[in-house]
Amino acid sequence: MKQDNNTKMSEKTLDAELVEQAKKGHMPAFEMLVNRYQQRVANVIAKLVKDRSEIEDVAQEVFIKVFRALPRFRGDSSFYTWVYRIAINTAKNHLVAKSRRIQNTQVEYEEAESFSTNEAHRNLDTPDAVYARGELEQVMSKAISQLPEDLKTAIILREVDGLSYEEIAEEMACPIGTVRSRIFRARDAIDQALRPLLDKEHNNQEHVRSI
Amino acid sequence: MSDQSKQNISQLMDGELSRDCSRFLLKRMHHDGDFRQSWNHYHLLRSAVQQDGQAPLMHNLGCRVTQRLQSDSESVRQPAKPGRGWVKAITGSAIAASVALLAVISFNQNNLSSGDADFMVPEYAKTAKQLINPPNAVTARVEQTPRYTRFPDLTPQVQHYIMDKNTQTMVPIYYRVQSIQQSPVQQSIQYQSRRYTDE
Repeated sequence: MKQDNNTKMSEKTLDAELVEQAKKGHMPAFEMLVNRYQQRVANVIAKLVKDRSEIEDVAQEVFIKVFRALPRFRGDSSFYTWVYRIAINTAKNHLVAKSRRIQNTQVEYEEAESFSTNEAHRNLDTPDAVYARGELEQVMSKAISQLPEDLKTAIILREVDGLSYEEIAEEMACPIGTVRSRIFRARDAIDQALRPLLDKEHNNQEHVRSI
Repeated sequence: MSDQSKQNISQLMDGELSRDCSRFLLKRMHHDGDFRQSWNHYHLLRSAVQQDGQAPLMHNLGCRVTQRLQSDSESVRQPAKPGRGWVKAITGSAIAASVALLAVISFNQNNLSSGDADFMVPEYAKTAKQLINPPNAVTARVEQTPRYTRFPDLTPQVQHYIMDKNTQTMVPIYYRVQSIQQSPVQQSIQYQSRRYTDE
């Protein structure tokens, strides 16, 4: 398909489209938005919340708040800038609440009493799920290290340094089409390596939910 | 899913896909789980590369967040208690019936005679032409002052006429003779119009 620089949908426009769909109640659009910024939000939270086991919970709270505040988002700033502010505030509130919890042990009994109604969250911390997350990191790390050098360079320049395809093409002294292809092949290679593991984890989660 | 489709997803997430293709692909992804799964896996690679040492690797957080939002919204929506529906239906019917009865009673109070129904219903002047040239039925011309707009017997057109012509002290309204003679409202109008005429 013919590509014209003047008619590309930028990442900012893409975010705006997904936000508009999410505002209308399209949950798949919001899910895609969350997956898009999940790691950056986790990195921000990790600067304040040192306990790794709590970071994912706080990240979840951040995106719950983001969804509820979506009607108030007008697009004056970028979507990530807005989410970043919510993440910082949520992480700080979490630390304050945690320090209160440590002082008041009565709260722990209340949490235990509510456990039986907390169906949706129960499956996250099974031994299988914890093990699977650790295994996932190992598989990812191994798959990236095994990528051919040109694919690895292209994906690092894109994901870590945030360069555009033109800038990567200039950096690597190759055509834009080659850059496009290398980035896609890198992602596809990782995708193929992960599918057996991710399908297994997905099936395990479904099994736990059905118990 | 074809390689071209997967490559389009890869370009879409980098902001390197044309607008038309992007919109089409976004619509497709809303309904196609395989497309969304590729999107999630490509973003997992992004997460792995962007992950710093302190944060765990985030995988498909979007799915957990949307599930929790849906379960929260279901718990907020409380189902109607069984057995209450019939009480509401009967209450609503009783209210509607009493309002209808009230309307009938208030209408009948304007028509005292139990005789011919025609006598009970005054003929209103519905158009300006009727004001000037009354219908062939036996009618009487009654002069009314503008303050008679309060009487519900007057049609909205008449009331508007009175409002517009508020410089006039009297407005001609045509009624059937029988209804004027028998209805206390019209008798009152006739009385007052005669009183103003005498003055």
